[in-house]
Amino acid sequence: MTFNPLQQQGIPLDRQLRNWRELDVEPIDPDHCDPYTRCRIIAMNGIEVEAILFSHQFARHCPDPEVKRQLAEVRYIEQQQQKVVNWLLPGLASVLETTIAYEQVAVDLTGWVARAEPDPYLKQAYQFGVLEDFDHLYRYANLYEMIEHRKADAIVEGLTEVMPGRPTKLHHRHPVDNVREPYDRATVDPLSRLHALTIMSAEQQTMNFYMNVGPQYMEPIARQLYQEIGLIEEEHVTHYESLVDPGESWWEQLVHHEYNECYLYHSFMETEPDPKVKAIWELHLNMELEHLRIACDLMRRHDGREPQEVLAPELPNVLTFEPNKAYLRELLDTQMDLTTLGTGYVREAHERFQRMQEQIHGGEEPPSERVMVQHREMFGREYRSQTEGEHPDAASRERS
Amino acid sequence: MAGIAASDADVVALLMRQHGDIRNLFDEVEQSTGDERRDAFRRLVRLLAVHETAEEEVIHPFTRKSVAGGEDVVKDRLAEEKAAKETLARLDDADTDDPKFLSELAALRAEVMAHARAEERYEFIHIRRSADPARLASLASGIKAAEAMAPTRPHPGTESAKKNLALGPVAALVDRTRDAVRKTMGKDG
Repeated sequence: MTFNPLQQQGIPLDRQLRNWRELDVEPIDPDHCDPYTRCRIIAMNGIEVEAILFSHQFARHCPDPEVKRQLAEVRYIEQQQQKVVNWLLPGLASVLETTIAYEQVAVDLTGWVARAEPDPYLKQAYQFGVLEDFDHLYRYANLYEMIEHRKADAIVEGLTEVMPGRPTKLHHRHPVDNVREPYDRATVDPLSRLHALTIMSAEQQTMNFYMNVGPQYMEPIARQLYQEIGLIEEEHVTHYESLVDPGESWWEQLVHHEYNECYLYHSFMETEPDPKVKAIWELHLNMELEHLRIACDLMRRHDGREPQEVLAPELPNVLTFEPNKAYLRELLDTQMDLTTLGTGYVREAHERFQRMQEQIHGGEEPPSERVMVQHREMFGREYRSQTEGEHPDAASRERS
Repeated sequence: MAGIAASDADVVALLMRQHGDIRNLFDEVEQSTGDERRDAFRRLVRLLAVHETAEEEVIHPFTRKSVAGGEDVVKDRLAEEKAAKETLARLDDADTDDPKFLSELAALRAEVMAHARAEERYEFIHIRRSADPARLASLASGIKAAEAMAPTRPHPGTESAKKNLALGPVAALVDRTRDAVRKTMGKDG
């Protein structure tokens, strides 16, 4: 199906403001929703948060008061969109439950993007990152069972496996080794741009979330685990944001942001089974079409370029939340022992990596290891959900 | 503060895990049919009765006495409990095969979950702040005495539903739970 957002008519901006009644959405049921509905909500919240933060940064670098006013007007609507999207999450859910859903997003969004990414260097960046999100899911799942006596599978419902990925303690690399090489804006496939922006936004939201909710826990191991994984989210944001060509002008970046929002709302509208949530995706798509038109006008006026020069002629295939189990198992089998050196990937623990490891661990086991020890003490086993059989990596199988 | 591993001696950790057990039992009731559902539902009813009785005997008195504004915090919790208990009373002798059962159960689940989260956020948080480890442990012993009255796992054998029923009506269970808690708390508290 072809859908060209540049040729669609959206809702005029002066008709987009919603009143309190319209903002007061009914949250999803945490015990009976489709897990991927919750994933779409979390992912889209990350996209809206990035839209808002980007617009603020743009405004702070923009001397033209007329443009500042235009940005403010669109941004206010984006704030309302964020409120509606994120408020679909239920107050009944615990922070840890939402955390596990965040990691399910990271695994199945990054997994899907890795499969769909046409550029081999960018693909490698997603393959590398997804094995770390996968391990975070496993660590948080064990914490969840300790604190709430619930199995993470009640949240992910067999769509995503829960078992070790690349061990979290090995994610702590020297910061300079987290900076990748950017794509070239002149030759990049337009789809690659959308992927980079999507994954960067999702990881940034995860980083912000852990930064703020981690200290809400009272249990020492929970506080410590959020600190540890929160620092890895900093690494991931560095990793993914460095993939984006910094030579893109502010105007061009604005257009890409709006275009990506159209792409994702369209994708989610096409794949959403919950009719109330689907109606929101559809409404927001129709709002974004107008935001995109405004961004394109700004680009023409201030950049002297046609947006068509940098955009795809039509939307790519819908981005889909679906199981990526076989793909992940293949990566677990082949890429567990990778780390980064400069902008590339290596299999040996090099000197800078070793030094960082010594410094951050200080001769002790990190929280991600201690959570497993404490879980084993309580239950005499680990928590895993391996729906497709034994772990593909022999060393990662559970020892009884 | 002790880690979670040692937290059988921490009343808040214990109650939060019971909230998880209750939620697990709701899942079990929803996902089963026939005799299995009847049995799971009996266990759920009993666990709810025991859990709430223990909170009334152990937690709310502590909050009333030791937490600033505790009187009002408990009043709000009791109002939630009352709503849940009324729904529970309607369901207590319900036919679990009745087509209306699942929608009634969903209403009960929503009330119980809202109550549990409110406790965690507005009551337990003050208990951890106001009680020292020894106190948390002595409160926990009261909860554990109650917990022993309500098995979360099914009795083995095919007669499980009948056996559970044979344990008697919920009102009697509440009385026995109250006695057990008071005996323990009198000893430890």
